[in-house]
Amino acid sequence: MPEISNITTGNPISPGGNRSSRRGGLPSINLPFIVVIALLVLYGLVVVYSAVSTDEDYSFTRQLAGVGIGLVVMAVIWAFDYRRLSDYTAVFLIINVVLILSPHLPLIGVNTMGATSWIKIGPLPQLQPGEFAKITVILLDASIMARYQGRLDDLTEYLKAVGMMLVPFVCIMTQPDLGTGLVYLFIAAVALVVGGANVRYLIITLVICVLMVVAVFLIDEVIKNASGEYKLLKQYQRDRLLVFMNQGSTDLTDEGYNLQQAMIAIGSGGLFGQGYMQGSQHALGILPEAPTDFIFCVLAEELGFFGVLALLVLYAALVIIGFRIANASSDMFGVLIVMCILGMWLFHILENIGMTCGLMPITGIPLPFMSYGTSFMIMNFALLGFMGSVWAHGMENTRRTSYATPH
Amino acid sequence: MVFAIVVAIVTLVVIAAAVAAFFIIRSRNEGAVGKPRGGRDVVKSIDHISALPSHGRPSVSPTPSISTSSVRTAPSSTTGRPSETVHSRFVAVGVLATVVFGALTAKLWSMQVLSSGSYKNEALQNKYTTVATPAPRGLVYDANGVLLVKNRTVLTVLADASVAENHDVIQRLSAVLGIPYNIVSLRIQNQSSGAQSQRVVAADARQRDVAFIAEHSDAFEGVTVQERTVREYPYGALAAHVLGYTGTVSEEELLTVPENRVIELGDTVGKSGIEAYYDNMLAGEHGQRRVIVDSQGRVVEVESETQATRGNDVHLTINAAVQYIADLELANLIAPEGVIGKGRGVGGAVVAMDVTDGSIIAMASYPTFDPTTFTGGIAQDVWDLYSTEESYYPLLNRAISGTYPAASTYKAYTSLAGLKYGFADDKKKWNCEGSWDGFNSGDWQNCWDLGGHGEIDLFRGIRVSCDVVFYEIAKDFFYAGVTQGGSISDTALQEEIAKFGFGQQTGIDLSGEEAGRIPTPEWKVQHWVDVPTEGYWRGGDLTNLVIGQGDCLITPLQNAVGYAAVATGNLMRPHLLKEVRNTEDQPVVTFEPEVVSVPDVKPEHYKQVRTALNYVGVDSDAVVNAFEEWGVDVMTVGSKTGTGEVAGKGDVAWYVCYYPFDKPKYVVSTCIEQGGGGAIIAGPVGAHVMGALISADRGDLTDVGWVAGSSGKSVALGTTGAEARTD
Repeated sequence: MPEISNITTGNPISPGGNRSSRRGGLPSINLPFIVVIALLVLYGLVVVYSAVSTDEDYSFTRQLAGVGIGLVVMAVIWAFDYRRLSDYTAVFLIINVVLILSPHLPLIGVNTMGATSWIKIGPLPQLQPGEFAKITVILLDASIMARYQGRLDDLTEYLKAVGMMLVPFVCIMTQPDLGTGLVYLFIAAVALVVGGANVRYLIITLVICVLMVVAVFLIDEVIKNASGEYKLLKQYQRDRLLVFMNQGSTDLTDEGYNLQQAMIAIGSGGLFGQGYMQGSQHALGILPEAPTDFIFCVLAEELGFFGVLALLVLYAALVIIGFRIANASSDMFGVLIVMCILGMWLFHILENIGMTCGLMPITGIPLPFMSYGTSFMIMNFALLGFMGSVWAHGMENTRRTSYATPH
Repeated sequence: MVFAIVVAIVTLVVIAAAVAAFFIIRSRNEGAVGKPRGGRDVVKSIDHISALPSHGRPSVSPTPSISTSSVRTAPSSTTGRPSETVHSRFVAVGVLATVVFGALTAKLWSMQVLSSGSYKNEALQNKYTTVATPAPRGLVYDANGVLLVKNRTVLTVLADASVAENHDVIQRLSAVLGIPYNIVSLRIQNQSSGAQSQRVVAADARQRDVAFIAEHSDAFEGVTVQERTVREYPYGALAAHVLGYTGTVSEEELLTVPENRVIELGDTVGKSGIEAYYDNMLAGEHGQRRVIVDSQGRVVEVESETQATRGNDVHLTINAAVQYIADLELANLIAPEGVIGKGRGVGGAVVAMDVTDGSIIAMASYPTFDPTTFTGGIAQDVWDLYSTEESYYPLLNRAISGTYPAASTYKAYTSLAGLKYGFADDKKKWNCEGSWDGFNSGDWQNCWDLGGHGEIDLFRGIRVSCDVVFYEIAKDFFYAGVTQGGSISDTALQEEIAKFGFGQQTGIDLSGEEAGRIPTPEWKVQHWVDVPTEGYWRGGDLTNLVIGQGDCLITPLQNAVGYAAVATGNLMRPHLLKEVRNTEDQPVVTFEPEVVSVPDVKPEHYKQVRTALNYVGVDSDAVVNAFEEWGVDVMTVGSKTGTGEVAGKGDVAWYVCYYPFDKPKYVVSTCIEQGGGGAIIAGPVGAHVMGALISADRGDLTDVGWVAGSSGKSVALGTTGAEARTD
């Protein structure tokens, strides 16, 4: 990797910071970044260990394996120069479509609970390609916006960009998987905002989005009156929305019961928590999906408000480091990649923690570095790898290396 | 203190957010202002070059840019790193991040710190479940403290409903408990105690089998062992109909739980007899067991436990020794080898009562059952057997629920009615020619003695039970009725009979009591509503009624209460309860004798009838001998026989007696279904039970033995039970 940067730079007055770090024998190692990652992943493993300890359906070893594979993936991507990918917009688009639509293929597609979101190839564990597609969606959106170099005022170009960004969303809605679809949309929104799209266009787009959501509900109502059942939104989606709107209602559906139990788990944690491995709500199996979607409840129940704050501080630190990497990046593509990654994590954090405490409607979106799940863990490490790559390769012409390296 | 810590933490988070904002703003400012800082200027110049539109790939050019201090927000700026061109957009994402972390922190702060208490309570409620443990029922004693119903602790093996699909576990249960595979399977599929509740596999398992199951709990998933108390009956079927039986509460019963009673699903409740009538008294108070249960309902830990308290003990007025004689007498007469049909009659009842206070000393009904059969749920085959016609329904308490024509035992009451209205007196005589057609209808009615009794007064009429005497009395009643142009009520005779408690429940402390029937013109119209021509009340109806035949129906208990009233002048409310004692043996309820009414009968009329009743027994050798066996002189007894005719069946044999004649203390009413002649069949049974009463009173009779339940078997009755009447 240093060779590559040397060649691309080809500059006799290359940054002193870079050089000095190389002399230390640990080139391109961002220590705060590494520390925050290590703490987050360790914290996640500690919580997952407690969460899976009472449920035989989950294996802690598998989660460890996910972290192991993730570390390798991260290292490989970190070493890879992300800039080589900036011209492959069309390729990303194709990969996205293929990945997201792959569960529809016969033989490997698996249909569970009304959604065709999983594939199974030979002896490999079941995988969710929509999860990995988040990476290519970020690369796609970043590469689309990078070419405008931070300014997009041309309406035709804007529409073209938006149109391409919508392709993964349309594909995922065929599974259908609204939760992941919203993540794609949010990534696209971050790419548009950071990529410098005209503010007026952005506002108009937002208004159109709101109108379309309203239209979906109205049309669904018309369809129901005509045919007797809702077609556009599924019943469970309506239930989740109703539960969100009527919190505290005693007339509980399954979803309402889940939310109530999640909130009891969080609230009963208090300041200091019930103690590690002592949470009664998940130990007795009252908490639904404790190791996956509701992992945050396990943490909040056992480690209390302090444990929760520790997690939020780690997330905040990760976001701050991300900002610094983006800020130091020498090209727009790198900036956009990092900002889209941060945006995606923010959305995951807001939605996952928000749904467990009643701030957001329930969707099946996992909590980065915490939730049980190998696919999701590997995907997050890959994203870390891209951040590392941007940090390592994106600043080669800048003097700001010192910014992020310790003295 | 805690508050201070929390404030400190929140401050830290705010600082963290502020730091984030600081970095964003700082990078913005630096890019915009671009202060010259030594060697960095050189690098900055390279930045500008790399920011040239080059589709992301920085092309390195040695030409440094000049404009190092361009306007920061200008999108057209070509100065600085690419991030500088989108600084305002960075701020937008930074604000988003701050909002996300701020909102989550605020919400979690409110949940985990401000309202943590209520959530903690809910978590505790989730964690702990209070389970009611069954309480042992109170015991049942007879009047002298003989224990009739006691409790036994048993180990009950229970299985979850899901075990029904687990063949391995069923196989193992079958092997360990020694119960056939298909029976275990059937018991687990039985939903009678509720769809969700556990099913009883073995109600009374052996200690070592239970120990084996406990040691190998992994191999018996869904199987639990519970300590329960069940009823035990030291004397088998003794007084079975009085005691009744218990069973698991049904879903219908749960809907009608009395206000002061707590019944949980799976509890044992009284189903019949005094177990049902005094269920409130006998039922104990549930214990409470606070347990930690996981979401699958498995008990993880028992946190605390309060013991259940046993119910109150019930002391009955029954004398077990007399009851034993009564039960034996019926069993020996009706089913000498345990099979109905090999003796006399197919069923019967004996009621012995203290005439002074209405206490029931013995109440027997045959065929009978052993309440033990019901502990832990009655087996289906036994239930089916007891529901067949061939078994003659052992669960029926014939003493209170069996209704029979009163036959000649009615004559004591109808005599008093005749005396009251002057249709009979101490002088009046009638002539019996064996048959009678006082209404000149052409339908002759017979006296039981077809040879005729000749000239006869009321005394002899009662003593030899001459029907013609009573036909005449009924005829007088008929013609004196308003519809026939007379001056008295058409139902004057019925009203007099009703004064002795007929046609209504006696009010005994048992459920399922029948009221019987005194036919009236009104009743007849109702009864024949579909065939109006038959609903016409005729003189013949009254002549049938006067001798206790036709449509009149009474229970053996009503006859005991009625004869007690004839003997004493008071109509008593019969009762089985002597007192209820709590677990400290203190009486909590004591029964007070209750005079229901005093029939308005003149003393001289009573005297006339009682004198005749005194001479009934002496005419029958069977009765005289039966009394002598127990050392009782028949002349100290007042009694009446009766033989009731039932269409298509054998006669109902009746014998009612009270003792001592001059100062009555006890009454015994005996009724044998399809037994035949009253004096020959029912007489000895009644005499023996009366003898037992007298012996017990003297303290000579205390032995109580074990009584067998009915086998449910029967053969065709050897005797027709319909020989010529002898009363």
